[in-house]
Amino acid sequence: MSNRADVPPSLQPSRAARVLTWLVLALALAYFLGPVYWLVVSSTKSNADLFSTSGLLPAANNAAANYSALMSWTQGNFWRWVANSILYSTIAGALGTLLSVSAGYGLAKFRIPGKGAMQVALLAGLLLPISLLTVPLYLVFHGVGLVNTPWAVIIPSCVSPFGVFLGRIYVESSVPDEIIEAARLDGASEARTFFTVVLRLLAPAMVTIFLFIFVATWNNFLLPLMMITSPELKPVTLGLYGMMSYFNPQYGAVLQGALLGVLPLVALFLGLQRYWRAGLASGSVK
Amino acid sequence: MSSRTARTTGSLAAAVSLSLVAACSSGTPAGPSSAPASSAAPATPVSIEYLHRLPDGEGMTKVADIVAKWNAEHPDVQVTATKFDGKAAEMVTKLEADIKAGTAPCLAQAGYAEVPSLFTRGLLEDVTTDAEKYRSNFSEGAFTLMTVGGTAVGLPQDGGPLVYYYNKAEFDQLGLQVPTTAEEFTAAAAKAAEKGKYIAAFQPDEAQYSLSAQAAAAGATWYSADNDQWKVDASGAATQKVAAFWQTLLDSKSAIVENRWGDGFKKALTDQKLIGTIGAAWEAPLLAGDMAGSPNEGQWAVAQLPQLGDAPMSGPDGGSGVVVLKGCPAPAQAMEFNNWFNTQIDGLVSQGLVVAAKGAMTTPEPVKAFYGGQDVFAELAKANEALNPNFPYIPTFPAIGADMAQAADRAGKGEGKVADIFTAAQQASVASLKDAGLPVAG
Amino acid sequence: MTITHEGHNRARRRREARTGLAFVAPFALLFLVTFVIPIAVSIRSSFYRAKPSGGGLYGGGELVDTFVGAENYAQVLGNRLFWDGMGRVLLFGAVQIPVMIGAALALALLLDSLLVRRVTIFRLGYFLPYAIPGVVAALVWTYIYSPRMSPINQALEAVGGGIDFFAPGTILGSMANMTTWTFTGYNMLIFLAALQAIPGDLYEAARIDGASEWAVVRRIKVPLVGRAAMLAVLLSIIGTIQLFNEPTVLAAVNPWMGKAYTPMMMAYNSMTGGVSPSGAGPASAISIVMAIGAGLLAAGYAFLQRKTV
Repeated sequence: MSNRADVPPSLQPSRAARVLTWLVLALALAYFLGPVYWLVVSSTKSNADLFSTSGLLPAANNAAANYSALMSWTQGNFWRWVANSILYSTIAGALGTLLSVSAGYGLAKFRIPGKGAMQVALLAGLLLPISLLTVPLYLVFHGVGLVNTPWAVIIPSCVSPFGVFLGRIYVESSVPDEIIEAARLDGASEARTFFTVVLRLLAPAMVTIFLFIFVATWNNFLLPLMMITSPELKPVTLGLYGMMSYFNPQYGAVLQGALLGVLPLVALFLGLQRYWRAGLASGSVK
Repeated sequence: MSSRTARTTGSLAAAVSLSLVAACSSGTPAGPSSAPASSAAPATPVSIEYLHRLPDGEGMTKVADIVAKWNAEHPDVQVTATKFDGKAAEMVTKLEADIKAGTAPCLAQAGYAEVPSLFTRGLLEDVTTDAEKYRSNFSEGAFTLMTVGGTAVGLPQDGGPLVYYYNKAEFDQLGLQVPTTAEEFTAAAAKAAEKGKYIAAFQPDEAQYSLSAQAAAAGATWYSADNDQWKVDASGAATQKVAAFWQTLLDSKSAIVENRWGDGFKKALTDQKLIGTIGAAWEAPLLAGDMAGSPNEGQWAVAQLPQLGDAPMSGPDGGSGVVVLKGCPAPAQAMEFNNWFNTQIDGLVSQGLVVAAKGAMTTPEPVKAFYGGQDVFAELAKANEALNPNFPYIPTFPAIGADMAQAADRAGKGEGKVADIFTAAQQASVASLKDAGLPVAG
Repeated sequence: MTITHEGHNRARRRREARTGLAFVAPFALLFLVTFVIPIAVSIRSSFYRAKPSGGGLYGGGELVDTFVGAENYAQVLGNRLFWDGMGRVLLFGAVQIPVMIGAALALALLLDSLLVRRVTIFRLGYFLPYAIPGVVAALVWTYIYSPRMSPINQALEAVGGGIDFFAPGTILGSMANMTTWTFTGYNMLIFLAALQAIPGDLYEAARIDGASEWAVVRRIKVPLVGRAAMLAVLLSIIGTIQLFNEPTVLAAVNPWMGKAYTPMMMAYNSMTGGVSPSGAGPASAISIVMAIGAGLLAAGYAFLQRKTV
């Protein structure tokens, strides 16, 4: 995209094609954001208005009351839980990305005995439903004394077989052997080559893996449900789940909590934006 | 408390603190906590964890505040209450894992219908001796629900007797009296339906709890012991009265069919299309909450469940108690707190509970206002006293719900009969008991 | 490189293996702890059943793990509910996966093309559904599908139509829509990252050769995202066999679906006691049979893919 200006005018797409594309993309956007719009509108409503007024139009503004209900239902812990979620997801995302890319690089660029078996094991790891592994996992973490600590959420979240597969694919398509060889000939150690050369080339892929692990950690509630008991350690999704598992939640408050909880994700997404571009640029620099 | 119990308590506390010290010193060598304990053993407080699923919502007396009061008064028994954020079934799974790991809390909330299941799964401690001391503080029916074949496993917290909720203003406008028998009910329902109003909702998703409770109210006992085997009678004569009652309502289209937890139920209420519903006592604040801010405010009222069987009676739809979990190092102290906590009537009422403890409940102001100034909790307490005293559950009761709900859905759509729901309950009960390796006749 | 010294070469190879393993080791170690051990526990427990230790109505208040051989498996394989569920998820996957992957690929290609300039809002907007917690998405969709309040039906009623999103005949479609809504953006990002990983000079060369944009898409882009697409499809197959959130959400307001509408629901509810036989043993057996099914499907797909590409 950064080299768009270099494209000769003859290849610039026609106006009609542009408008059509834009139309398709906008329709898709409406499909994905329509329900989010309902969420925003409903987060300002009281329970009664939620069931008696049109879902598409705002009713009497009850946002402030919903906010105070949210604070009360979460025992004033809401922002603390958001902070916990940010902390857990960031660490899990960063660690998980590094682990995934490192393993993906190892599998893609080195001849390792048993490589095939490892990949089958990875795939097998994906085949069993995580939720049924949570109880055995709990016993393992109890064994090492990590239950009811942030690590009980972070460690399982940062192990992503999917991330390794993605890492491997991205390494294969965007890290040419010649660059690694060149670094080696310059006398760089393997670790140095990895951290300075390979990781730079992989920036867009890493951003994607980071984002996936970050969001998956953010939205996982079963793991913290089993692992965390102290209120001050809970992540925000667990708190929202707690409000919903009661018979008669104040929906506006839950929805508002969800929206406020999504804001950090949006900020993160926008913040990661430039790395997507950076990766592209460095790819064409060579 | 007699001096004998005080002494046992003291020595138990000492034993507990010793084992705690042992655990500490083996886990973390030279831990700083071992120093004060060895100098004055009895001074080490016993710590009790309590896992609950109370709503702890806005405007309620927070569990943490109630517990703080206990902790201030009992420096030697310190309690930590934690809210579990998942569903009841998920909590059982968590507790099972906790017990395997040896990290289970001492106390946990458990629904009456789940207590036998927890006991069979080996999660509960026998606390009969301690429970007997507090027996007189609780309503007899609720206390019995916290026993399993004569063994007490905890103390009751709240009850869910069925009552009848109705919109009094709408009833008056239609010239309807509150029905007190099944016949009066079906007649009133037919009359209301002519005007496009409904005084009852058939709720397929609540079939398991609501319909079993109605069967209990009609005088049925689904599960009993026969020669040390379970005898299942989920579709007997008393239960058939409930089946006939709903079949009449459905056939004459004088009840609407809505799932209790679906949006349609709430909409029917707020739109004043549904002007009456058979519900559990704990639904009183929920209904008020669902309809808050609508014209329904101040119009509703609570009455006793219409007589479904040979005598006026109610049935247990939900409600829960606090059980002592296996491996609790200080069951006596845990039970002492259990008794104290579950007799904190005002605090528990603010959480929306109809308490099982004896004593007057004060209806919270917002609830009172919604029900036109009625002393709602006095009416609910009356229902609590009218519970069928003989309706124990089987250990596999949680596993029969899906079959009942599926049959209820068909009945609601006219694809099946209400009686089929109870046939499904009968079959699922027998099959699940067999699956679990428990003795069952037939 | 010519083979000069056998020994030198072998040492070099050993060093390469060591270095490679060092890159894989940190992940492998944690994978062992968080996946391999729990899976081993799960496999073991699938051969056991917790049975009452004593007699009496309540079984003595204690359960003992008893080896039952293949009994748990026999019960799963002989259970009609399980196969009904399998049939549903297969039908679901056969329709939903192609639609979702196709849409994700199309959106990614459009965003990567020269046709649009400001992609941020689209990229974010498409991905946002994945970031909404499942418990909240459940609220949104039960409302939108609700027979009495659905804004869609309110609009359709105006023109004399209406859809029952909860009917047995349509509910798989309703579920597929929820899944598509949640995961299309996610898959699109996978493709987008793969597209952006393609070295830019590859396009330039093609364009200078006079290839049209469409030709660039077909000859360069699609083949190069092929592996990412294959991975995405594999994951979707596995995810479909494990379909749980959407049916659970809908079953909460549709009791006719029961607690075993999909195999994963059956497994989870066996674990928590809502489906009989219950307990870790039967639940593990169900999930292992599911895993084998998913594995066979994934392998079959991978095999076909290799053959055709």
